[in-house]
Amino acid sequence: MTGAPRQPRAEERRNDLGPKASPGGSTHRVRGRGPAMRVQGSGEEGTAATRLLRFPGSTADPSRLSRGGRRGSGLAETGERRRERRGAKAGETKGSSGRPFHFFKSVGTMLKGVTRLVSRVHKLDPGHFLRLGTQAPQSLAAHLDNQVSFESPRAISCTSENDPAKHEEKHEGQHYNLPLQDMKTIFPHGLPPRYAMQMKTFNEACLMVRKPALELLHYLKNTNFAHPAVRYVLYGEKGTGKTLSLCHIIHFCAKQDWLILHIPDAHLWVKDCRDLLQSSYNKQRFDQPLEASVWLKNFKTTNERFLNQIKIQEKYVWNKRESIEKGSSLGEVVEQGITRVRNATDAVGIVLKELKRQSSLGIFHLLVAVDGVNALWGRTTLKREDKSPIAAEELALIHNLRKMVKNDWNGGAIVMTLSQTGSLFKPRKAYLPQELLGKEGFDALDPFIPILVGNYNPKEFESCIQYYLENSWLQHEKAHTEEGKKELLFLSNGNPGQLERLCAYL
Amino acid sequence: MAAPLVKAVLGSSDLTLSVRSAVLRFPGFTQVRWSRYSPEFRDPQIDKDYHRKPWAELTEEEKFERELRKTQPIKAARSANTSSVFEDPVISKFTNMMMKGGNKVLARSLMTQTLEAVKRKQFKKFHAASSEEQATIERNPYTIFHQALKNCEPVIGLAPILKGGRFYQVPVPLSDRRRRFLAMKWMITECREKKHRRTLMPEKLSQELLQAFHNQGPVVKRKHDMHKMAEANRALAHYRWW
Repeated sequence: MTGAPRQPRAEERRNDLGPKASPGGSTHRVRGRGPAMRVQGSGEEGTAATRLLRFPGSTADPSRLSRGGRRGSGLAETGERRRERRGAKAGETKGSSGRPFHFFKSVGTMLKGVTRLVSRVHKLDPGHFLRLGTQAPQSLAAHLDNQVSFESPRAISCTSENDPAKHEEKHEGQHYNLPLQDMKTIFPHGLPPRYAMQMKTFNEACLMVRKPALELLHYLKNTNFAHPAVRYVLYGEKGTGKTLSLCHIIHFCAKQDWLILHIPDAHLWVKDCRDLLQSSYNKQRFDQPLEASVWLKNFKTTNERFLNQIKIQEKYVWNKRESIEKGSSLGEVVEQGITRVRNATDAVGIVLKELKRQSSLGIFHLLVAVDGVNALWGRTTLKREDKSPIAAEELALIHNLRKMVKNDWNGGAIVMTLSQTGSLFKPRKAYLPQELLGKEGFDALDPFIPILVGNYNPKEFESCIQYYLENSWLQHEKAHTEEGKKELLFLSNGNPGQLERLCAYL
Repeated sequence: MAAPLVKAVLGSSDLTLSVRSAVLRFPGFTQVRWSRYSPEFRDPQIDKDYHRKPWAELTEEEKFERELRKTQPIKAARSANTSSVFEDPVISKFTNMMMKGGNKVLARSLMTQTLEAVKRKQFKKFHAASSEEQATIERNPYTIFHQALKNCEPVIGLAPILKGGRFYQVPVPLSDRRRRFLAMKWMITECREKKHRRTLMPEKLSQELLQAFHNQGPVVKRKHDMHKMAEANRALAHYRWW
């Protein structure tokens, strides 16, 4: 469009933007420019006018327009471009040939336009681009392709599409907002602890839409409920976002009204259990009353509405005095498990059995989401009174869960995550399914669809940094600069978990 | 750090030669730490911008400096000093003072957790406040840290001076370095000794830093006590001979 920009003009512009602009050439001054631009729009007509006077019709320097629109260089430029589209005004030159003297000659004609322009600029707000982002009107989209520099930061890092069912390739790398009320019902357990802290600090829950989750969503949307449940395994190195991808999937399924069977961390069931009871149902197995009752409570919070609809199809006897009849609702089983903690494990077993049996009837779709599924086939740190170790299958909860994860039922899907973080007796660097599951686990889960969750690509990294900047999470002055960002990229290597930890203290 | 006491503190990149023969013999300064390096060794220049400046932009002095550095031996840089943009000499000094038994990993993680705790507390306050108050709430943990330590620095100190067989606490001016040291020392001691055994250091330290930032809390009180003592012993000021 324009020729090569004049060096002095570019310098002027950088100096012009106030104390926050660094002369070191960093154009990534989104935060700094935001409030300044708003102030400009709200009626400092003098400064806006002079700024526009200096570069009438000049578009953003092509040298500064590199990949990705992250230069929210402001509303003054948007206004300019809109003026260009309406047609060049008298005395305005596009680009490189303007000299100071010409500006002052055409001041009179320009000022009229400028005052009109400023009032237009006033109407634009950062949210404007947010709303435009998903609809992408043709003219603006065409301009956005050419001059990406004036996209507001919110348009890059956040999307207004809050329904996971409508997430597509174009939303990749963008954050979407989850309502906090939903978070309490869908995720009473299961969020990573650092993410929960972040949610509490920011007062909002935003998840990034990433490729593995999009792939899984695509598969889930095309599930054939007549076929046996397909098993999907999310695997990857530590801190890459497997658990949060699982949370994305769970949110999608909850919105689609599936029944969510979410085991937040299977590793918690195979270690550090103070009270192990011998199971009343099967003498060889062990009960874990506390873990089971906690899980039942959370299960009830998530799936309140299904508990009354589903009726059990068999009579179960708890002990000599208590039993539960055929035809009573699943809610009663869950209540029994919560109140009588001794029977909690058996209640869990009943719930799993009934859900498996009835999922093929078509009343509901069942999502089995297990985080840390390699715990089911690993070692435990639990011991009997005579200090001999307990194998995983001797725990009733694990035994029942193994049956749930087998693909001999239909009417739903099974999504699992491998995790080295809580695992026992596994090397730190292990992340592949074969390494973490072992032979037994791999054979039990075979066949499954493996989905690799990797580190951030440059676009996602940029989006993450933008999100932190918007929420003012990155407070260090150097974190806003290009140097700072390069350093963060280097230190974290694009690993989401590491990046989060780094940004926490910056 | 094995360096003569007369050298400038806190990793400032001054280039004065640390020639031992030029050390001034003050009564207040005795050289207690000796350097393994002989005097002609120069300090390493860690600043990235210094090295990135193109040759054409240097002044004559700077060009001379660069040429000189090529011929002179340079000391090894400390492993804790990085050329990171996020590096802060005050934070590094504080971390070193918190360190026990050489466990820098633990000290650094405590420091980062403290900064994170300060940030989260301030964010919580920010979201709870009305829009007028939000402008006054400082959320940058580094500014809070620096301001808090500045608020804890005493202006005047006390020195025990032996006169006539008795030790008197005499008010004495403190150098910048001593003041910074005292502020950090008091902060760390306060957190270690005066708090409940089971509270974790980041929690204690973040609370103390926030209190000191607002000029409240036990560390600032200790500074005020020091000032009051110095004021009370004003008459003894003549015992000082330097």
